[in-house]
Amino acid sequence: MTGRVTLYHWEPNANSGKPMLALVEKGVSFDSHYLDMLGFDHHRPAYLAINPEGTIPAMTHGGRVLTESTAIMEYVDEAFAGPPLMPADPVERWRVRWWMKFMDQWLAPSFSMIGWSVFVGPAMRQRDPAEIEAAIERIPLPERRTSWRKAVYGLFGEEEMAESRRRVALGIDLLEAELGKREWLASDGFSLADINGFNLAYGLPATRPEAVNDQQTPNLIRWLRAIYARPATRACWALGRTDMAKRLAVLEEQPA
Amino acid sequence: MNAILYHGEPNGPSLAVLAAAFETGVQVALRRIDLAAGERHGGIPGAQAPELDYSVEGEGPVLVVDGVAMTDSVFLACYLDDVAGGAILRPADPYARWQVMAWCRWLVERVAPAAAYLGTAAMPPRTVPVGIANADLAERWEQAVTGRCDAALLADSRAKTAAGVTRVEAQLADGRDWLFGAIGLADFETYGWLCGMAPLAAEALVGRPRTAAWLARVKAHPSVARALALATVPEPEKVWAPGPEINRWG
Ligand SMILES: N[C@@H](CCC(=O)N[C@@H](CS)C(=O)NCC(=O)O)C(=O)O
Repeated sequence: MTGRVTLYHWEPNANSGKPMLALVEKGVSFDSHYLDMLGFDHHRPAYLAINPEGTIPAMTHGGRVLTESTAIMEYVDEAFAGPPLMPADPVERWRVRWWMKFMDQWLAPSFSMIGWSVFVGPAMRQRDPAEIEAAIERIPLPERRTSWRKAVYGLFGEEEMAESRRRVALGIDLLEAELGKREWLASDGFSLADINGFNLAYGLPATRPEAVNDQQTPNLIRWLRAIYARPATRACWALGRTDMAKRLAVLEEQPA
Repeated sequence: MNAILYHGEPNGPSLAVLAAAFETGVQVALRRIDLAAGERHGGIPGAQAPELDYSVEGEGPVLVVDGVAMTDSVFLACYLDDVAGGAILRPADPYARWQVMAWCRWLVERVAPAAAYLGTAAMPPRTVPVGIANADLAERWEQAVTGRCDAALLADSRAKTAAGVTRVEAQLADGRDWLFGAIGLADFETYGWLCGMAPLAAEALVGRPRTAAWLARVKAHPSVARALALATVPEPEKVWAPGPEINRWG
């Protein structure tokens, strides 16, 4: 398959950052199309023509459109030359996929709920309510309209927030334990699981310094620093436009 | 390689992995466990791993290979496919493989939780097993056993099942036999979750001739028929255990 690669993404973070970092690690040059998620760029007709679900990221390769960040990463690894980002051993390949799903579907939604309630919601409440309501009405997926409304109007329930906090704490413990078993998260070499996990966890030392630090989570911190030190990570995070990307700075510090 | 597949009755994820094993021809020893009685918890000799306790799939089959306990039916099928050379259950072309993986992601995120919810509501397990490490899975067991079903979630699950069937019908609209090229992962996984839905979400299947014909074709396919023949009950599609959770974030 030949043709230009265009990635439609937001900040190097969560789902957007996964294919971004995979492309850079792989050495694939791509056109970066930045979408301002908090400006609702991803619900405008130009982007809905590419991804009718109105979620970020999406990638085009030649005339083909791809969505679903984790599936895009596997595609990037298979469709382009460059260093392999999946192990060769079938058990290790299974483990990479297992951890990506655990992070994508069990852990990340809890990060999102907390992030949206403390960050996205308050930011939106500074803006014209009529404009925000109109923007929410344009969201194609009904589930996402619900999430946006909960964030904007502060409607997350105490029970679901507590459950999200429980999962984040447990997720940190599970990642720490797994990273105590081997250098990289799911296989002997750097893989898509590390790219995925970094995008989820890179902000933790800055946002939860009491839980994620050299003393309590030495393996998690070691791993985050090792990924941060990779040239691809630097290049990728340079594509960020907001202060979010700055949360990486704490990884510059060396262990005490 | 010493591979043992601990599987439940041929329905849902157990059916998908059994069919995948037979289709690829990878040698695995089969051990039946009662997933609906919670035998996965403590019933897999020697296996202790986060991947067993925190499988997003809930109560699915477990493949133990040389002491490593692996879970999650889509990835177990990928494993079997990788062992067999990588292109029996999925197409060889990267874009066609992306289509299959993106399909399966949608299926397990939207349709599987709905099917498992409807299934356990209709056929609740008898008791909550002891030793469930994962608190949210334990809560899903608790709800299933006590029949604390939420009317809104039941309605939502029927709607999601119907949306799933709508997508299958659309995928088959050009007259193809299988969802993506040759029969494979997407067919087995989709069939596993949908084959028991007729009595539970009848309206979802009304006026869906292509889906009905596809269901019959998959059922008659040799690897699936062989998996179904392992049933120890007359209607394995009615045996359910708590599955993946209903998406808590859009
Ligand atoms: N499963 C999809 C999820 C994509 C997704 O939800 N992306 C988030 C950003 S990380 C998004 O688009 N949020 C904005 C919205 O829902 O309006 C993937 O992995 O690509």
